[in-house]
Amino acid sequence: MSTEMPDGGQPLSGLEDPPVDATVLRMLLGTRLRRLREAAGITPEDAASQIRASRSKISRLETGRVGLKRRDVRDLLILYGVTDEPRQSRFLAQVERSNAPDWWMKYTDVLPDWFETYLGLESAASAIRSFEIQFVHGLFQTEDYARAVTKLGHKTAPEAEIERRVGLRLSRQSLLTRPRPPKIWSVMDEAVLRRPVGGRAVMRAQLKHLLEVANLRHVTFQVAPFAPGGHTAAGGSFTVLRFEERDLPDVVYIEQLTGAIYLDQRHDVEHYLEVVDQLSSEALTPTASRGFIERVAQETLGRHRDDQRRASRMVRGGPQALKGTG
Amino acid sequence: MRDVSGTSGKAGWHAIDTSVAHHARIYDYVLGGKDNYAADREAVEALLKIWPEMAFGMRANRAFLGRAVRYLAGEAGIRQFLDIGTGIPTAENTHQVAQAIAPETRVVYVDYDPIVLSHARALLVSNSEGATDYIDSDLRDTGTILIQARRLLDFTKPVAVTLIGVLHAIPDADDPHAIVATLMDAVPAGSYLAISHTGSDRLGRETIDGLTDVMDRMVQQDFTLRPREQVERFFDGTDLVAPGLVPYEEWRPDAGNPAVKSAGWCAVGRKR
Repeated sequence: MSTEMPDGGQPLSGLEDPPVDATVLRMLLGTRLRRLREAAGITPEDAASQIRASRSKISRLETGRVGLKRRDVRDLLILYGVTDEPRQSRFLAQVERSNAPDWWMKYTDVLPDWFETYLGLESAASAIRSFEIQFVHGLFQTEDYARAVTKLGHKTAPEAEIERRVGLRLSRQSLLTRPRPPKIWSVMDEAVLRRPVGGRAVMRAQLKHLLEVANLRHVTFQVAPFAPGGHTAAGGSFTVLRFEERDLPDVVYIEQLTGAIYLDQRHDVEHYLEVVDQLSSEALTPTASRGFIERVAQETLGRHRDDQRRASRMVRGGPQALKGTG
Repeated sequence: MRDVSGTSGKAGWHAIDTSVAHHARIYDYVLGGKDNYAADREAVEALLKIWPEMAFGMRANRAFLGRAVRYLAGEAGIRQFLDIGTGIPTAENTHQVAQAIAPETRVVYVDYDPIVLSHARALLVSNSEGATDYIDSDLRDTGTILIQARRLLDFTKPVAVTLIGVLHAIPDADDPHAIVATLMDAVPAGSYLAISHTGSDRLGRETIDGLTDVMDRMVQQDFTLRPREQVERFFDGTDLVAPGLVPYEEWRPDAGNPAVKSAGWCAVGRKR
């Protein structure tokens, strides 16, 4: 319903006062560039040749996936007919702001490019909705659980590298306690709770941690119990990131073994939005989910104690002592 | 699926269906939300062609909700709300407005749409002093609403029943006046009723025909417009708070009167 003009000369709505995340700023500037290009009737190909780049580079610029270079933006603005000096410099000042270094820069040694994009989006999002079928979401992992997951993925990595990766994961979690945190709404398959990643003791501590995090008002957990016929999302885990700015579309993030898929076309995004809406409707309510996690934690605790008891009997009385105990 | 006896029209439609527009998601789109689908946006575009002031009316309706709750929690001293037809959460939801004035306020949200309900449970979360609860029920199923609302509300103390932009989904055949009367019979004297309703006497014949046609073809819910006297009749047994039954933007406005007029009636009444 917004009939905003594609006017690079106007201050970007709401961006002047509060500190806006560099990623969001980049996305907004990209959107603004796309509108200016379209208003000028210029094809992505022509825009690309103006800055000696490929068509896909233009696409990445306009979706905020890559940093903006001052010179490129200036050339594009001229091509799009934004020629007056004050308008140009206002736009370029925003470009400078969008290039502020991000907190994860110190982790570049263990950070693949495709995940760096996610970190930017995650820290810029105002709402994060996810469906997890295998592991607890990275934002809610305990240190031990994170270490166990990391080791699964990097079996031969030296200890120091594992710790760097764990450190990065834990640093991400600072967004849970920052001022104006995002709303995080996560649907977890029962399997996430049942799979004892790192062993029972680690898992039990992880489940307790989930119950604590669930006390945060901006965090909602829902459990999708094992159901006959499976759930709506026959596929895998995914995350939908939403941004406060009305101009910015939701982004769907799907992680794969050696890379990730980012979707921001409305048609694609809406498919996932529908799936996550269905899952949220089918899953246990947040209150019932809390009870469910408590029960699983109890069971994990119970079995853990049995194991210890059994082990100590083995030590004291040998295997015979176990006879008849079932 | 719940079987609600005595329903007619499109009432049984409770599953998620994003291929046909839904009233709650239409509202979400017009208010600037992102929880809507292509079918909802198409319906909005079609409706706006026939009735360009609809967007203003929806925003004015939402603003009325805010001012009414502020009045009820403030001046009227109400600490219990029964919000029926909750809709998809946006800014300034009932418990937020009320708890900003009286943190101990309890709010029960009622809706029959699964998307609305899951969003309400995740997003309409009370502060620690007050409480919120959620009921999965059709407005027509007053029995379910009144039983489940007692989980949180004390029906020996005043309750504000809010029916904002929802009664037009109930066709005459389902006797909306009897539904409202049943709800108000269950609450004690000194309770309040707040209603907003699109007015058939505030739109031209051609506009009404066009709207009805689009709603029939493109939207899941029924759509019945009602004239002033029928909306007024919902308030039988209550005394209307000043300024009485007026267009949305004229009910205790914060500042000035906008140039555009909404095509709806709204009021707040106090049970005798």
